[in-house]
Amino acid sequence: MPRAELDALQAEKLFGDLLPWAYDRSRLIRDTWDAAGVTPDEITTFAEFRARAPFIDKNAIRRFRKEHSDPYGGLLCVELDTPGVFSAVFSTSGTTGEPTPAPYAGRGPSMLTREFWEIGSRPGDYFTHMLFTFRGPGIHDTIRGIGATPIFLDHHPGDVAQLVRFSRELRPTGWYTLSGPLILAIESHAAETGLDPAEAFASYRGVVCAGEPLGRRARQVVDGWGLELFVQTAVGDVGAATECRGHDGCHFWEDTAFVEVLDPDGTDAVPDGEPGELVSTTLIDKVAPLVRYRSDDLVRMTRAPCACGRTHGRVWPLGRKGDEVVVDGRSVLPAELFAPIESVPTTKAGLFQVIRPARNLDRLRLRVGWTGEGARAAVADQVADAVAAAVGVAPEVELVTYDALLRQGPPHKIPRVVKE
Amino acid sequence: MTLFGSEPAPAVWGVGRLVVDGSVTPWPVSQRDIDDEAEAAVAHLASLGVGSGDFVVIVALLSEAIHAVPLEKAAGVLDAKYSAADATAMDATRTEYLVNQLRPRAVVGVNAAVIAGLHEHGREPGDVFAGVPAVATADEVAWRALVDAGLAPRRWAKVGPTSALECARRSGLHLDGERWEVDVADGEVVVTNRAARLTPCVRLHAGFAGSIADEPCPCGRPGPRLVPADPARRQ
Repeated sequence: MPRAELDALQAEKLFGDLLPWAYDRSRLIRDTWDAAGVTPDEITTFAEFRARAPFIDKNAIRRFRKEHSDPYGGLLCVELDTPGVFSAVFSTSGTTGEPTPAPYAGRGPSMLTREFWEIGSRPGDYFTHMLFTFRGPGIHDTIRGIGATPIFLDHHPGDVAQLVRFSRELRPTGWYTLSGPLILAIESHAAETGLDPAEAFASYRGVVCAGEPLGRRARQVVDGWGLELFVQTAVGDVGAATECRGHDGCHFWEDTAFVEVLDPDGTDAVPDGEPGELVSTTLIDKVAPLVRYRSDDLVRMTRAPCACGRTHGRVWPLGRKGDEVVVDGRSVLPAELFAPIESVPTTKAGLFQVIRPARNLDRLRLRVGWTGEGARAAVADQVADAVAAAVGVAPEVELVTYDALLRQGPPHKIPRVVKE
Repeated sequence: MTLFGSEPAPAVWGVGRLVVDGSVTPWPVSQRDIDDEAEAAVAHLASLGVGSGDFVVIVALLSEAIHAVPLEKAAGVLDAKYSAADATAMDATRTEYLVNQLRPRAVVGVNAAVIAGLHEHGREPGDVFAGVPAVATADEVAWRALVDAGLAPRRWAKVGPTSALECARRSGLHLDGERWEVDVADGEVVVTNRAARLTPCVRLHAGFAGSIADEPCPCGRPGPRLVPADPARRQ
């Protein structure tokens, strides 16, 4: 769709439909806008929206939930007992705190049909459905929505043997999803059994990787298996953004969401391609709409045309704003630590946590997953040296087993930042 | 009763898995299979007291979709809503969270991994489920843990491609006898489909050690009931 038409469609959906709907029905949105002294009928252009629309964030939702004993944080626009609307209530992963309940009013395939088609799955194919938590029909209806047949597997190290077997026997073409911990489990299974993942996974035309960004080593491992990886990232809890075959950023669908990237400490938009905080507004969710939701996710974003021909924007995930630590004035994000930690052979899995009791620290403390091979003190020194060389801050390193970190799940990622 | 093979094969809804002759085997099912199992599962959920406006939390693995999805659809038939958590130790606190937030009428599928996960997080399973009117466990470890905590769980069991659930009388696990024929071979329940199924099974060993009770259940529901082999497991 040409850019101008896409912009017009967004304006029509947001100002003509979603915004008044949300204001009239969502208590959190109404309270937030009333407190800011703004009403939707005063906002008719994106310039006005950017200048005057107030923000919400996860804390506001949690606060509303607590103060009003409302599990849905004041977002629900349709009564849960409205006949024929809701079939289920799911929940977010809960990596950064308690899960958030998400009422499900979906029917049939989701927007992910676009991604599953892009990765190369076609009607009549088998498709590996290995989502990290079992949350209702959205994904398997989507797989069937492109005419493929889901194979149900668990996103768990214990199911790797079945993944290999089913992949060999049924020759699926698509796979949703792969993650860092699962890559590690497949590597381990291959080392134990002599498996050649490239042979076992030869039928796949594309694999969606979600959860958290992969380190360089993990990418190389997957490349070595002959898998074409399509990175997927969240769009501020209003959708997902996934790489196209150009693999130059994750496309978000602008007919479903209005995305801004702002100064993490302010309200000004950052220039195209510069790092900032992703702020999302749904254009389609009329059940629990997020409007100007500060996601805490740091991204780069561009609306420049993509080589694939799409006009929809792209984002590159950089990390979470709340994950940043500042040590002696030097800002450090977890994403910067993958490469140095992966460079040490016995910590190559890139499993680590930043101990972050506060944003400003005197010393960077890391908990790092270790194979158990080599002298502990020497390995810790190696990791510390590699990190110091990469980010300019010498850390204190505590080595733990892989399992000690993986058990903290959810299974597709580990908490990268912990207080203790 | 329509027999499989008498009409064109329906499209495959999805590929689950069963243990056949001791080994995990891909098990394709059709949309019609799922819908038919959902119809049978309505009686299961109703026996847990699930009705209009209620929540039921279904604790399962994605690999158990061919057993869990019929329960989800059955909830819809009853005008109830469902939520889902993984039947893993890692996701155990999600089950707890959903219990606290949604106040479900029933939780189905609590297993040993969930019990272990709750313990790992310092939760007592008896406390977590104390306020839930009906809890159905998926294995003996979970059942025993809740009984020892002073609760009165039901049993839910996967029986080949279908499932069985204990009613409030706890006189064996009800299974839909119109759709499935059950028998016992070598002390283990074997199951054969009466209704059409995409993947037929004939005297499939169902992984349930016990016997069949054919006499009417005190609850009034007709059909066979599966009685666990170990009488110590019965309340």
